[in-house]
Amino acid sequence: MSVLELITSPEAATRDRALDVWCAGRDLPALLAAAEELDGYRRREDNLYRRVRALLFLSALHRYHLPAQPGLNRLGRVPPDGFRHLLERRFEEAITNFRRAQEAHGPSETLCSALAAAHHALAFQTLADQVRRTVRGTQGNAWMFRLGHPLDQPLRVRSDLLAPGGTGPHPLLRERTPVRMDLTHCGWSDIFFLGMDYPEGARVLNLSVDLGVHGRDTGPRPPIEAYFRVIDEPVIRLASVDLEASATLATLDDVFDFGRDYLGLLKAAVIAAGIVPPGIERSGAELGALLGAVFGPGRGCELVSSVNRIPKGSRLAVSTNLLGALIGVCMRATGQIGALEGPLAEADRRIVAARAILGEWLGGSGGGWQDSGGLWPGIKLIEGAPARPGDPEHGISRGCLLPRHTLLGPDRVPAAARRALQDSLVLVHGGMAQNVGPILEMATEKYLLRSAEEWVARGRAIATLDEILGRLAAGDIRGLGQALTANFFGPLQTIIPWVSNRYTELVIERTRAAFGEDFWGFWMLGGMSGGGMGFIFAPARRVEAQERLLAIMLATKRELEFSLPFAMDPVVYDFALNEEGSVAARLEGAAALLPPAFYQQAVPGWLRRQARDLSPRERADLQQFTRAARQGGEFAALLPSLLDRLLPGTSGAEGEAGLLDRLLDGNGFDREQHEQIRTDLRAGRIGLARNRLPPSTRIEDVAPGDLFTAETASAELRAEGAAALRRGEAAVVTYAAGVGSRWTQGAGVAKALHPFAKFAGRHRSFAEVHLAKSSRTAAEHDTTIPHVFTTSHLTHAALAGHLAGIGPVPGTEALLSPGRSIGLRLVPMERDLHFAWQETAQQRLDEQKEKVRGSVRAALVQWARAAGEGADYTDNLPAQCLHPVGHWFELPNLLKNGTLARLLAERPALRTLLVHNIDTLGATLDPALLGWFRRSGATLGWEVIPRRLEDHGGGLARVDGRLRLVEGLALPREEDEFALTYYSTNTCWVDIDRLLDLFGLTRAEAADPVRTAAAVRVLAARLPTYVTLKEVKRRWGHGQEDVFPVAQFEKLWGDMTAVTECPSVFAAVPRARGQQLKDQAQLDGWARDGSARHVDSLCAW
Amino acid sequence: MKIRKALVTAANPRQRTLPLQTLIDPAGEPKSALQVVLEEAEAAGIEEFGVVVCPGDEARYGEACGRLRGRVRFLPQAEPRGYGHAILCGRAFVGDESFLHLVGDHLHVAHAATGCARQLIDVAVAEQASVSAVQATRESQLTAFGAVGGRLVGGERPLYQVETVLEKPTPTVAEQQLIVPGLRAGFYLCFFGLHVLPPELFALLEEQAAREPGRPLGLSPALHALAARRRYLAFSVAGRRFDIGAPYGLLYAQLALSLSGRDRDRVLTQLLELVAARAD
Repeated sequence: MSVLELITSPEAATRDRALDVWCAGRDLPALLAAAEELDGYRRREDNLYRRVRALLFLSALHRYHLPAQPGLNRLGRVPPDGFRHLLERRFEEAITNFRRAQEAHGPSETLCSALAAAHHALAFQTLADQVRRTVRGTQGNAWMFRLGHPLDQPLRVRSDLLAPGGTGPHPLLRERTPVRMDLTHCGWSDIFFLGMDYPEGARVLNLSVDLGVHGRDTGPRPPIEAYFRVIDEPVIRLASVDLEASATLATLDDVFDFGRDYLGLLKAAVIAAGIVPPGIERSGAELGALLGAVFGPGRGCELVSSVNRIPKGSRLAVSTNLLGALIGVCMRATGQIGALEGPLAEADRRIVAARAILGEWLGGSGGGWQDSGGLWPGIKLIEGAPARPGDPEHGISRGCLLPRHTLLGPDRVPAAARRALQDSLVLVHGGMAQNVGPILEMATEKYLLRSAEEWVARGRAIATLDEILGRLAAGDIRGLGQALTANFFGPLQTIIPWVSNRYTELVIERTRAAFGEDFWGFWMLGGMSGGGMGFIFAPARRVEAQERLLAIMLATKRELEFSLPFAMDPVVYDFALNEEGSVAARLEGAAALLPPAFYQQAVPGWLRRQARDLSPRERADLQQFTRAARQGGEFAALLPSLLDRLLPGTSGAEGEAGLLDRLLDGNGFDREQHEQIRTDLRAGRIGLARNRLPPSTRIEDVAPGDLFTAETASAELRAEGAAALRRGEAAVVTYAAGVGSRWTQGAGVAKALHPFAKFAGRHRSFAEVHLAKSSRTAAEHDTTIPHVFTTSHLTHAALAGHLAGIGPVPGTEALLSPGRSIGLRLVPMERDLHFAWQETAQQRLDEQKEKVRGSVRAALVQWARAAGEGADYTDNLPAQCLHPVGHWFELPNLLKNGTLARLLAERPALRTLLVHNIDTLGATLDPALLGWFRRSGATLGWEVIPRRLEDHGGGLARVDGRLRLVEGLALPREEDEFALTYYSTNTCWVDIDRLLDLFGLTRAEAADPVRTAAAVRVLAARLPTYVTLKEVKRRWGHGQEDVFPVAQFEKLWGDMTAVTECPSVFAAVPRARGQQLKDQAQLDGWARDGSARHVDSLCAW
Repeated sequence: MKIRKALVTAANPRQRTLPLQTLIDPAGEPKSALQVVLEEAEAAGIEEFGVVVCPGDEARYGEACGRLRGRVRFLPQAEPRGYGHAILCGRAFVGDESFLHLVGDHLHVAHAATGCARQLIDVAVAEQASVSAVQATRESQLTAFGAVGGRLVGGERPLYQVETVLEKPTPTVAEQQLIVPGLRAGFYLCFFGLHVLPPELFALLEEQAAREPGRPLGLSPALHALAARRRYLAFSVAGRRFDIGAPYGLLYAQLALSLSGRDRDRVLTQLLELVAARAD
């Protein structure tokens, strides 16, 4: 059967067969022929989804099936032009370029990785473009893209939103909207692509709920409020009371500048509501003229949002429903919705939902199609709708962009059942904040590939909905809890194992232990667990459960907060079903009040000014507030905090500064060196551009004879290594000082502690996996292996606690080598920011996201200028202001802190160290490689792997004739990297005595702190210092996070290969041994390509 | 079907002087706007005219009717209660026959030898149905007019079966409910200010008034109801309408009248001189 039949067959059974099954048993020529066939097909196929399936088939062939063929050449090169096309999102050109290289040089693993990435990206771009086109073409949206001049603006504000006679304060329009909960977890079937290709499988049970934070709020209420009013100024005023941000937009560019402040969502609402239609962007028109057409000459509008401080990451679609509320209130105000007040009609809800999708696209974000469910009342079944003639999707996709909503009234779900659900459910925010984007891509890809197990699981998840609906209708909440739990541990984790994590499973386990039979089930909300979650209890114990669950979550968070990214402390919500959906009210006179927090933020500013300087609007607002405060209630309660804001205190800042100083002093911070680095940085003597070697440097690829191939190791070498292991001559050093900037996008957790995947039935951390490998090696060679983890101030205490928690691991002795060097991050130089963004190759984003990124970057440049280029970065938690100074210092630290001396004293036989990164999961004390290294007589032995597309950061090269490792940031030209066949794994064998000799030390002198410190200083001075930019998160408000690029310096161990007195040898090792896990998005591929199984086979649990 | 009577609404209390404005017709004759409207109807075969006016305007409007004064009956609308109510004021005058309805503040200039009203009546007689004249209108002007949605039924003629009528819709609503196949994107069929309507419209207006007492009575909801009950067509006439109540509306109407008549070259020359004299 041809591979194309999996896509084109009229039989569903054939179409739904997994590509993996088709590939099984086929050889390399057959798979290459299939790739050719698919490429031809996808170029001639008109049907969008068939084309996308063919692209994903091609991606999977190149990512998984071809590299698994033993006959495939492992060595190759990625053409730099193709790579550039890839970065610039010219995917077709990139594919053509890579295919040409394949024709010229034959297929290779390297080219396969490039083709896999290009086909994958093209598939997702095709899908995203189609959704965007459909959003633009949706009836009710299209006109806004045609409007290009203020005179063409057809919208007019409703006269009942203008003050009688046109003078005095204008009335307020307030929209109150609940949030939505997904009662089934739909197996991510609400991703637009899935709903549009497989409408029959896209079904969710969606509830509108009111919310309050338990213990903080008086009770549940619609958490989202959007306020609209006309103002007598030709501007748009925006305010978000939760983010404490406000802005006045006076030009069109202000409106379309999404990244400049925290008000992107409000701007997207103004645009998506048609007040400033998207078509008018860059028209050069005056915003005042456009607003004049809608509101009357000299007038504008004000939009205020509030989400009642509901923390970010609640998995309740707060932002989509807020966008819906904001768009809704603007559309009501301009007559695009029939009813000015009260609930929305079905047609209105649908157009608001369509506009919310548009708004999310404009703002560069995205949600699922059920997310605007809060606009609808009560409980509803949301299902994919097949595209019919007349629909804009007809002939393009099988399903419509917008799903069909069926309200389930009391006839379908009786009042008693609704009550029972509320009496049993405890809704929480676990505190974790994670990026669900990669999960959604994985779910889409697995669906389109019909991966066997996942496809069966999807079928079960779809069937679960009917079971859940049945149990809900019957009021069987206990059964509902069981079904939801089974869904979480069954189909959901089969489709995407990464939806669960150690935190969630510990909380479930502890809750079960605490409540026994009265804990009825767990319910995962949204994309992944750890944030918004539901726990179902026997009604009699629900109140108790609210308190105890909070305590369990808090305690578990404290245990894991250095391992997993938490944005905030957990909270428990009070909630209630909302049976009205989004409702608007027109407020005038004394009732025309904005949310209390609005006044809390605005009033101090007004009070600081002279009364005569206040605008009539500000004066009227101040009078309104004063009148309301006199009545008592929540407005009067604000008065003390208003006074606090008038005279801001400084206590918190002093405390943090003191802590930072203590950390610096306690961790070997070298102030003199820091000032020198600052001076050099400001003077331009060091910087990103200066990291590079001179342009005249000759960079050449290595020849086959330059390195040893591990797979060719003889039995003799292996025996020699095994004997050395038996004699206790080897130890392992794992770098564990870092916080995995890429792994958690700067969240500042210790990567070594991250329980990233399940082994032997539970989530294990990187540190546990490394110890388990050493344990197995020790058992196989009847020895004990010392295993050192190097630490920093960021990771030491947490790692010590973690190892203590794990307890002794058979055959190993775990030791910690505390860091003895620390740096203080600096505000970056503007030229380094520009260099990083403009001079280094970067992935271009899609059009709208690129625009948002552009404006965020402009804001960051402003920040660097305002904060002072090269100034100390101290505006964050102290731990986020410090940085480790590069892995060059890790081994010297073993000398400085006495760990090596102690090891040598206890184990005089010790001769060799295997040093590796925390994320090189395949690294082991392999006897063959140990034998090779010992026989080489070198000081250092380095492991490299054949390069794949994703392997960036330099490699093995001849640099002006010398064989050495060269860092990516030191290469004179970025494209030099593509000429290098091998990528450095940073795994290094070290001959202890020769290294000591290089430092000018003997074994006896290694215990002398003064001599070792001096020896380290001398060698360090000979190595280059690199300036890098790292992203750090600054957390604030309620789960909000900002990411700042900050400057730091580092020295890297690979540069030891450039030291002439330090002989180095190099070995090419298999990918499974040398590959690293840098990004959580890699996890799925790592599990699917057999790497996870391989790592497991190296471990003893 | 014979259309003998015309009902003209000119009772907008905010625009009481509009029908009295003097224009030069295509033949170069100075006339009131009202007389231009009435003469268009006369040219279409209308014999009797009913003009709905604000009480007290009868005498002034009578003078403005020119030579047709003797065939005009004035129908005062006691208080301004909406466009539909103004039509309802003509019920007794119209009686039990179909009639031509014109709006007092709209002038029409045909692109053919046959006037706009004549074109419309010809279609109504041929089709034995009520017909509203429509003009494809850009979405930016939608909120100034009533608009219809429907489907093309006229073969090569621009004749449509009306399914939906909405008063001054936003483009958001229009895109969802008023898409007419065959029109350019962003264009909708908006009323032209000319209709051939059946006598049962009055009953529909009364029903509507009874349903929503005290609210201004619109014409569009009644026309929407009419479309649901009987065959109701829209015809895109060969001509253009000019709303003389809109900003510069009177000027545009005058230019259109002049440029389609005897003094075309004279007016055009003057316009060019005006443009040329303005250096910046």
